[in-house]
Amino acid sequence: MSGAGEGGERTRVIRTDYLARVEGEGAMYVKLDGREVTDVKLRIYEPPRFFEALLRGRAFTEAPDITARICGICPVAYQMSSVRAMEDACGVAIDSGPLRDLRRLLYCGEWIESHSLHVYMLHAPDFLGYAGAVEMARDHREIVEQGLQMKKAGNALMAAVGGREVHPINVRVGGFYRAPAPGELRALHDPLERALETALATVRWTATLPFPDVERAPELVALSEPGAYPIDRGAIRSDGGLEIPPAAFDEHFVEEHVEHSNALHARLRERGTYLTGPLARYALASQELRPLAAEAALAAGLGAVCRNPFQSIVVRAVELVQACDEALAIIDSYEQPEAPAVEVIPRRAVGHGATEAPRGLLYHRYEIDEDGTILDARIVPPTSQNQLAIEQDLRTVVEGGLDLPEDQLKLRCEQAIRNHDPCISCATHFLTLTLDRG
Amino acid sequence: MAEADPASLPARDAANAPARVAVIGVGNSLRHDDGAGLELAGSLRGRVDPAEIAVIEQEGEALGLLERWRDAAAVVIVDAVRSGAPAGTVHRIDATRQPLPADLHSSTSTHAVGLREAIELARAIGRLPARVLVFGVEGERFDAGSGLSDPVRAVLGALAEEVLQTARGLSA
Repeated sequence: MSGAGEGGERTRVIRTDYLARVEGEGAMYVKLDGREVTDVKLRIYEPPRFFEALLRGRAFTEAPDITARICGICPVAYQMSSVRAMEDACGVAIDSGPLRDLRRLLYCGEWIESHSLHVYMLHAPDFLGYAGAVEMARDHREIVEQGLQMKKAGNALMAAVGGREVHPINVRVGGFYRAPAPGELRALHDPLERALETALATVRWTATLPFPDVERAPELVALSEPGAYPIDRGAIRSDGGLEIPPAAFDEHFVEEHVEHSNALHARLRERGTYLTGPLARYALASQELRPLAAEAALAAGLGAVCRNPFQSIVVRAVELVQACDEALAIIDSYEQPEAPAVEVIPRRAVGHGATEAPRGLLYHRYEIDEDGTILDARIVPPTSQNQLAIEQDLRTVVEGGLDLPEDQLKLRCEQAIRNHDPCISCATHFLTLTLDRG
Repeated sequence: MAEADPASLPARDAANAPARVAVIGVGNSLRHDDGAGLELAGSLRGRVDPAEIAVIEQEGEALGLLERWRDAAAVVIVDAVRSGAPAGTVHRIDATRQPLPADLHSSTSTHAVGLREAIELARAIGRLPARVLVFGVEGERFDAGSGLSDPVRAVLGALAEEVLQTARGLSA
């Protein structure tokens, strides 16, 4: 639905009440006065407060399964942030060994699933000039087939480690209910090899897409750990010099209510807008990419830092290579752990967990009682953290595209939002996006 | 639940729509009426011979359907919808040759790839089962929380019987 052309000559409003191809429903609203952008709003209607309330009074061991249900696209991220937070509260750290490897392996499966959905089905149509994946499929069946093949490889990983493809049930505080036998993982080798080849081809292909010349400057924030590309643990770092443990999240990040949205907008105290997700991970940790992914990035023309959000499709493709290659390495060296989990004994404490969901940093904080009862829960999803940065991208895109025809400018705005793969169902389910030329 | 002797069944992957006919419930059980399709599918599990009719519960984005119905010749899909009709209204749509109506918002159409898009994507690349029947039950509330609204719950039992008869008719 479009309300383009409302109002008089001088002011105009661009709005989209239904935003396609994001994980949820979105509304975007941009108001212009002459050639000046006077208002930009990305509206999000519902924070994960229902789940935070649901968690209170439940056992600390229930958090991974409850929070996994917040999002159908990134359940593993919710499980991983919650188990890390609970283990942190109980004084347990799984920072190496086969249990951590299995967690990274499961997380690789989610990255592969989520990134391939976004790259092939949601983002590609923007660059090839189609309204959506269905229209694109009629002319470019091979792209859709590649996406499905990649997604299937991710599904197989999720099923082997997580117990099933959607909402994995095998994850627990302390590890897993059951560790897969080496043979079960070896069976994934060949499909993953094929997925890796497809991912490498995808980096080459995405690099040839036409990108508008846009450079954005939010502070980039990602997890950081020497020797590993950020997925499942690490300090929170930024390109502005921030380096803190997840436990210090609240000292440096603040969430604010804004009138137009039920979601909270997160910002860095005294510094403002920041961005998490593929561009931030790549900028802060490209030196930690595995050689195949690093070579692919170099050949694709990505520098050490990429600040063009439209090029996030290339960075996601590089992360697909990274995830496939790392999954293969874990599988090839896997030795079944003696026990599928370590014992975690509850105590009265507060715990923090931060991991890298496909679309950015996901922070959990829990306060638990001595018997493990959850007293308080807080969840800060990546999309609410990225919301301000997305709104600023919208402003830049509109200011740079004032002379574009109405429909093209609107499309460019929608693309600016899709660049960040907002998982609006994490921050909300029914979101509306409105772009407005009054 | 009557357990079939595994040795008597053809070798099939239970995750991939083993039978020729599949009943697929789509939705999100923590979005009130959005869970209607899942609950209906769950109620049929154990009432059917899995070698005859596969019962599949599909949560999350709908693109996964393309893999899950891969081996099925016919699928019966149950989902909660919002079209403006009174809650509990059942829409019966044959999507074998035509798309779902655009104004019939299935619950999953609020996601990246919804039921309508998944069906059309499958049609475009030749991965649509030969018969696709969709039962859409009009929901009342889709906010976060569990439990179906009264109008939806009131029709679910009869709808389950109709879905079962439809699936049996397709597998005959």
